[in-house]
Amino acid sequence: MMENGFNRRDFLKVLGWGGTAVALSGCGNTSVEDGRETVNSYVEAADYVIPGIGVYFNSTCAQCDAGCSIMGKVREGRVLKLEGNPDSAINRGKTCGLGQAGVQHHYNPDRVREPLQRKGEIGVTITWEKAYELIAEKLKDVSGEEIAFLSGGVSGHLKVLLDNYLASFGCRNHFVYEALAPAVVRAANKKSYGVEMPRYNINKAKVVLSFGADFLGAWVSPVHFSQQYAQFRKGVDGERGVLIQIEPKMTLTGANADRWIPVRPGTEGVLALGIINALGTAGGDIAALVKDYDKVRVSKETGVPPGHIDKIAALLKLRSPSLVLAGSAAEGYAHGSQNAAAINLLNHVLGNVGKTVEAAAEVPFPQMAPARGNTAALKALNDGLAAGKYKVLFNYAANPIFTAPGGMKFKDNWAKADFKVVFAHYMDETALQADLVLPLDSALEDWGTHVPEYMADGAQINIQQPLMERLHANTRGMGDILLALIKQRRPEDYKSYEDYYGYLRAAMLQNKAALGGGGMDDDTFWSETLSKGIVKLAGAATTAVHSKAGATDLTLPAATQDAQYPLQLIPAVNVSLRDGRHANLPWLQESPDPLTTIVWDSWVEIHPKKALEMDITEGDIIEVTSRTGSVKAQAYLFPGIHPDAISIPLGQGHEALGRYAKGYGVNPFQILDAVFDKETGELAMHETRVKISKTGQRVIVVKDESAAGAKQIRKKIAGRMSTDNVDLSKEV
Amino acid sequence: MFRFLRLSVLFAVLFVSAGSHAADASQPLSTADDLGPQVDQPIEFPHDRHAGDAAQGGMQINCMYCHTYARRSMTAGIPPTQKCIGCHQSIESVRETPRIKKLFEYWEAKKPIPWKKVHDLPDFVRFHHERHIQRFYFQQGKPVQEVCGYCHGNVKTMTVARRTKSLSMGWCVSCHEKQHPVDAASTKTAQGPNDCWQCHK
Ligand code: SF4
Repeated sequence: MMENGFNRRDFLKVLGWGGTAVALSGCGNTSVEDGRETVNSYVEAADYVIPGIGVYFNSTCAQCDAGCSIMGKVREGRVLKLEGNPDSAINRGKTCGLGQAGVQHHYNPDRVREPLQRKGEIGVTITWEKAYELIAEKLKDVSGEEIAFLSGGVSGHLKVLLDNYLASFGCRNHFVYEALAPAVVRAANKKSYGVEMPRYNINKAKVVLSFGADFLGAWVSPVHFSQQYAQFRKGVDGERGVLIQIEPKMTLTGANADRWIPVRPGTEGVLALGIINALGTAGGDIAALVKDYDKVRVSKETGVPPGHIDKIAALLKLRSPSLVLAGSAAEGYAHGSQNAAAINLLNHVLGNVGKTVEAAAEVPFPQMAPARGNTAALKALNDGLAAGKYKVLFNYAANPIFTAPGGMKFKDNWAKADFKVVFAHYMDETALQADLVLPLDSALEDWGTHVPEYMADGAQINIQQPLMERLHANTRGMGDILLALIKQRRPEDYKSYEDYYGYLRAAMLQNKAALGGGGMDDDTFWSETLSKGIVKLAGAATTAVHSKAGATDLTLPAATQDAQYPLQLIPAVNVSLRDGRHANLPWLQESPDPLTTIVWDSWVEIHPKKALEMDITEGDIIEVTSRTGSVKAQAYLFPGIHPDAISIPLGQGHEALGRYAKGYGVNPFQILDAVFDKETGELAMHETRVKISKTGQRVIVVKDESAAGAKQIRKKIAGRMSTDNVDLSKEV
Repeated sequence: MFRFLRLSVLFAVLFVSAGSHAADASQPLSTADDLGPQVDQPIEFPHDRHAGDAAQGGMQINCMYCHTYARRSMTAGIPPTQKCIGCHQSIESVRETPRIKKLFEYWEAKKPIPWKKVHDLPDFVRFHHERHIQRFYFQQGKPVQEVCGYCHGNVKTMTVARRTKSLSMGWCVSCHEKQHPVDAASTKTAQGPNDCWQCHK
C-alpha cells in the first residue's frame, strides 16, 4: 500500500515505467536471451518495491456498478492480479469472476490506441490537439440544445466535471443509459419505500422470496448479496433461511433456491397479490385490492399450483422477518411498474419494511451521487435523433448500437447526427459509427472517485487510482479529456488544474474535513486516502423508508395469447458478459455459463416438453423470429424454463469489439420489440414474443457438462442419451 | 483406424521436434567452456573496481550492498540508479570520467539505465535467489563472493559481468546432488531439492 504522498504518475515514472526506456522484449517460452533482453531497471525505488515481490495498491472495480473495492498486485510495474479489499463494507475482501477479469480489459490486445478521425470508411490517426480542435470547431456553431451526451452510469468527480462541461454550453441533454439497469424497480421502490435503492438485509431475513432478482449472479451488488446470503443460510437464531425464487427462467439464484417456481412470464404481480390474499392479514385498501385474487384465479393466470401459493403464504406467516425482492424478470413488461409495486406491497404487508428493507446511507454531496442509468434515456435520445434535434453527439461508456433493441432502429437514427464523438476502449459497434474516436485509459490506468449506487453499511466514496503506468502512450483518462474540453470553454476557472489527478486531489483536499480528514495535513490525508482506497463517511444521513404502503390502485393485465408468436422471449443476463461489454474477455468467454456450462457461444433455452412437441433436439439450429427480426442459434433443452418461454443469453453476437467477441453467438437485443413500461417509459425487455422454427442444421453443443458427467453427479439437468448406451471404449 | 492415424501423427510431431532440436544443437547456447557472450552494456560497469581485492585496486564492496534484492526476493533485479548516485554524488575524484558522466545523465533525465541481461534462464525455470543466499551465506556462513560465484563466476575480476557457468539443468543438478552441511556449526549434511516442481512450476 502506498505510504508516501507523491503523485502516482511521477511515482510510476520514477519507477522506470515512463516512456520507452524499458524495453520489455517478449521472448518465447524457451528463449534464453543473454545479452539481448533488458533487465527491469529502476531509477529510484521505494523500500517496499522489491523486484519479484508484489505490492498491493487499492482501487475500485470498474466492471459493474456495484463498486467493489479491489487491491491490485503490482510487480515490476505491472498489475498481475486483483483481489477484494477487506475494508470495503460492500465486498469485504471478495470479488466476483467478472471483477477478476478486469486485468483482461487492461491488457486486451484490441484496445484503441490512437485518436481516430473518420475519412470515408476508414479512421485516420490524428493527434489529441487536432481532436480537441475538431471538437471545439464542431461545437462553435451549434446551440446547447443541439448537443447530446450519452453515457453509462457515472458518479463522483467525473460526473461533476461532465455536468459542468455540459452546462458550459447550456446543454441539458445528458442521457444516462444502462441497458440492464433495475430502473423500473427503482421507480417502484421510490413509491413504495420513499427511496430508489433501499438496503436489503438478506442476512436478517428468515425467508427470502425473490421474484426474478438474480442477486447471486448479476443483480445490483452480487458480491455483497452473496456474502449476506451465506449468513442467511447459516441462519438467524439458528434457523436456516429459506429461499424461494419465482421466475420463468432459472437464474443462478434460482438454482440455489430451496424452491424454484416457474411462473408464467409477466404474471409475477398477480402472484404477489395472490400471496397477499392467501396470507389474509392485510386490511383496508390492500384487502380490497387483493380481494379478487383468490387461489383459483391466480393459479390459473400464473400457472403456479394453488398448493404452492398456500405453502408460500404459510411459510411467510411462520417466519418473520422475511424479504421480498422484485428483480429484473418481474420488471421487464409493459406493466412492469405494476408488477414491482405489487411485489413491494408484500414487504409492507409482511412488516418487513424497516427490518429487512432499510434506508440506505447517502453520500452528502448530491453533485457526486450516481447518475443512474436507465433505458428510458435511450428512448428519449432516439426520439430526439429521429426528429433531427441533435447535431453533435457524444458517447461514453455505452454501446447503444449493440444494446438498443432492434425495434428502435437506433443505428439509423444515430446516423442523423452530423458529428459523433465516441470515447472508447475498443472499436465496438458504436465506435465504428463515430466520426471521432477518442481512446481511453483502461480502468487500471485511470484516476477517479466513485459513489456506488447500492450502499452497504454506511456511505462511502471509492477511490480509483492507476495500478500501473499506461500501456499505450496515446490513451487518455476520461477525466483528463473532460478537463481539456472544459478548459476550452472556461479556461480561467480550470487553468490551475494540470490534469485530472490534480483536479481530483484539489477537490478532495478542499473538502478534507467532511471526508474525515479534519486535522490532518494535506499530504497525509491524500496519501491515506489513496492507501485505503475508500473514504468512509461516518454519520452520513439516511432517508427514512416509508413504513406505510403507497398507492394500491394496481391494474395487472392477464397474460395474453398470441397465436402467431406463441412464445415469450426472455433475454437472459449472463453473469459475466452482462450487456455485452465484457464479451471480449477470453476468461469470461471460456467460463462456462453456470447453468448450461456452454462456452463461447449463444444458445436458445427451451423446455424439454416444448422441444418434444416441436421435435427439437439439443444442438438443432433454430430460428427465433420476433416482429422485429430473427436470429439463429443452437437449441439447449433445459427444464429450468417455463414451457411458454424461450431464453437467449445477452452479451454475445458482436460484429465488432475485437477478436474475442466478434463473430461469437447472436445478439438477442437485435430482435427485441420496442415496447415500454407504461409508467416509467423503461424498455420492457421481456415483452417480446417470438416463434421458433427448425432450420434443419444441427451442431454439437460445446459445453463442460457431458452425458457421462451428468450421470456421475446423479443429476441429469437435461434429457439426453443415457450413459448406459455409450460405449466409452469407443469414445477414446 | 483412427487410433492408427493418431499414432502416426504423433510420430510425425516427434520427428519434427527432434529435427529442430538437432538444428539447435549445431548452435550451442554456450561455448564449450561455458563462457557466455560478451554483452555490451550502456555503461561499462567495472565490477573489478567495486568488488575486487584491495591488492588489485578494488574496493571490496560486498555484492549484496548493491544487489540488495537478491537476498530478499526470487529475482535479483538490478540496483536502482539511486544506489549508484548515493555514493557517486560525493566521490568528486571520478565525477568527470566518461562513465560517471553518463551515469549522471541518466540520473538527471530520470531515465532507467537499459542494462542488458547477462544471466538468463528459460521462462519455465524458476530460480530463487533468496533461497540460495539464505542457505549458503546466512546458514552456512560462506563468504559472499564465493556464494554468488557458484553461479556467477568470479565477478570481482571482471568489468562488465559475463556468464561463466552453463546454467543448464544438468549443471544445476550436479550441485543439488552434492551433500552440503545444513549450517555452519553442524556436521549434518543435506542435498538440494530434487523434485521437478521445485524449479518447473
Ligand atoms: S460485483 Fe461488480 S464491482 Fe464487484 S467485483 Fe464483481 S464486477 Fe467488480
